[in-house]
Amino acid sequence: MALKSKLAIAAGKSSYWFLHNVMHGGTSLPGKITLAIDPDVLKELAKDYEIVIVTGTNGKTLTTALTVKVLKQKYPEILTNPSGSNMKQGIVSTFLSAKKVKNGKKIAVLETDEANVPIISKYVAPTAFVLTNIFRDQLDRFGEIYTTYNKILQGIKLHPQAKIIANGDEPLFHNLQDLPNQVVYFGFDNQPDQDQKAPANTDGVLCPNCDHILHYYSRSYGNLGKYFCPHCGFERPELTYRMNQIMDQTPQSSTVKIDDHEFTLHIGGTYNIYNALAAYSVGAKFGLLPHEITKALGADDKNIFGRQEVVHVGDKDVTIILVKNPVGLDQVLQMIKTDKNPFSLAFLLNANYADGIDTSWIWDGSFEELPFDHIPSVLTGGERYKDITFRMRVAGVPEEHFAQRPELKEAVNYIKQMPTKHVYVLATYTAMLQLRKMLADEGYIKGGME
Amino acid sequence: MQYHLNLAHLYGDLLNTYSDIGNILVLKYYAKQMDTDIDVQIISLDDDFDPDKFDFALFGGGQDYEQTIVSRDLPNKAAAIKKFINDDKPMLAVCGGYQLLGQYYIGADGKKIPGVGALPHRTETQVNNRFIGDIRIRNEETGEEYHGFENHNGMTFLGEGERPLGKVIEGHGNNGQDGSEGAIYKNVFGTYFHGPVLARNGNLAKRFLLLALKNKYPDADFSQQEALEIKPTY
Repeated sequence: MALKSKLAIAAGKSSYWFLHNVMHGGTSLPGKITLAIDPDVLKELAKDYEIVIVTGTNGKTLTTALTVKVLKQKYPEILTNPSGSNMKQGIVSTFLSAKKVKNGKKIAVLETDEANVPIISKYVAPTAFVLTNIFRDQLDRFGEIYTTYNKILQGIKLHPQAKIIANGDEPLFHNLQDLPNQVVYFGFDNQPDQDQKAPANTDGVLCPNCDHILHYYSRSYGNLGKYFCPHCGFERPELTYRMNQIMDQTPQSSTVKIDDHEFTLHIGGTYNIYNALAAYSVGAKFGLLPHEITKALGADDKNIFGRQEVVHVGDKDVTIILVKNPVGLDQVLQMIKTDKNPFSLAFLLNANYADGIDTSWIWDGSFEELPFDHIPSVLTGGERYKDITFRMRVAGVPEEHFAQRPELKEAVNYIKQMPTKHVYVLATYTAMLQLRKMLADEGYIKGGME
Repeated sequence: MQYHLNLAHLYGDLLNTYSDIGNILVLKYYAKQMDTDIDVQIISLDDDFDPDKFDFALFGGGQDYEQTIVSRDLPNKAAAIKKFINDDKPMLAVCGGYQLLGQYYIGADGKKIPGVGALPHRTETQVNNRFIGDIRIRNEETGEEYHGFENHNGMTFLGEGERPLGKVIEGHGNNGQDGSEGAIYKNVFGTYFHGPVLARNGNLAKRFLLLALKNKYPDADFSQQEALEIKPTY
């Protein structure tokens, strides 16, 4: 090892030790220090690992966590990065924090920001790339889906020996088959074929082969599904791993069959079934048996599913859900619809930089499909409550069940009085932080924010 | 409902980046209060656009790639779009749609992309800059104030026979230089406004609907529709 790398790693490790044991926190700072001394240190740190890169615009965090959970069935020590530390510094910090593995395989499962895939790929040699999806984010509408995809591709092209495990329902991923890499696809196979198009406000419906509008035999959400192009014959590739059946969905869980093995995933949302399916596919690729994988996926693990948290406010179970882009919002609306009991709904909309300063995206969520006769109370709030109020009105919320509370304090008080046990609070990023702080100040949750 | 309008959503499945679906939802919302229902049809790649079958049209904006694909298909529909406009039928063109109705715009790679040429404006590019943020304008004829959000690199310069949708009070508008925002040409409204534009500006939605109604039903009495009170939403 070069002296520079040794020095860099030593400095990084000691700063990690200090932050972790004295300050009780870990940040990307150790990575920053290490990189400042030796910008190429990642190569040295990662050289003995089998590396799985998990990337895509949505679902990276849960896919990574579930993949770790699955692989731990066979390989007890898996290195992974904490949610959000998915850029170069955070990944360097992750390797610095690694415990010594005495024997057996050293595996690292790394959630990687899309734009950082080519950067990380310069230093490490991944065994596999896991690709979830490519959706547009409301924060940067000009980070086009094609640009994002090409970034990922740049990284993959450095490693023709790496396996690619990709979402077969994503049309953009079809052309991965043109690479020298081994590619396997996972996808949904749970609906009968019926020729259809995606709704008009769906992104990415151009055939990547001939630029005509794609059709679908079946569609799960967004532009994901069993697509085909009537113009040139382009169609979804053969799936290796498939979700066959959805037996039941609630906002808290989905009971499904993957490769005919039934299990219950203890988190709601169709999008999370894709994340579980991605983790399943990685597990299978690493030689685990289907029942071993579904056992791991079916465990109710609070550490993994804690992100969508339920806060007990008086006698209410308040589920706080972050909403940040059109596809995500639409999926959340679909998910809460699966609640079998009547529920109340609040939407707190801010438009600060971290929320997206253009609130137009709320119009892409299908609020029209909400079962308002099943929702006896709807509240809007946040700094941009007027925008979301009009959205709700246009969607047809009954006025007698509808209220607006621009002040957060009053919104929280209103939520406490809602007539159902279940309350869903959909909030943009800064609105969620403000809400959490207020609930913490009132003693309903420990600590403020992470 | 007593009245019925057919809306053509031009390339609605490709030019949908700015939640223009919201403009349609809002049109339906106010139309209902005006005793009118609306049928929406997407006219996309390879589809024929029959201008006589539609009473008004929406032309939204999209990502660069999709807009390039649309620009290649547009020559097939250019004559129909021009006829539609010359028949005084109302059209709302937002951002990319607004640019595409003009002479040309400059794409992300610096190439000149021809528009329909139905309206005389042209759109140039600015280097490493975008006009992003809240915007407020005043329409000189009605005195109405419109609110929106702009996010565009293009700098549009109006041509002969076009007048601005409004004068910029706050924000950048067409080009950040001449204080104009959007364009009015016959019954076409062009604008850079997101929000979506009709969600923020119910009075504009009402005006647009009334134009379409009076065009289609020249002998009907729309005094009740005209009296519809639009509450501020922003």
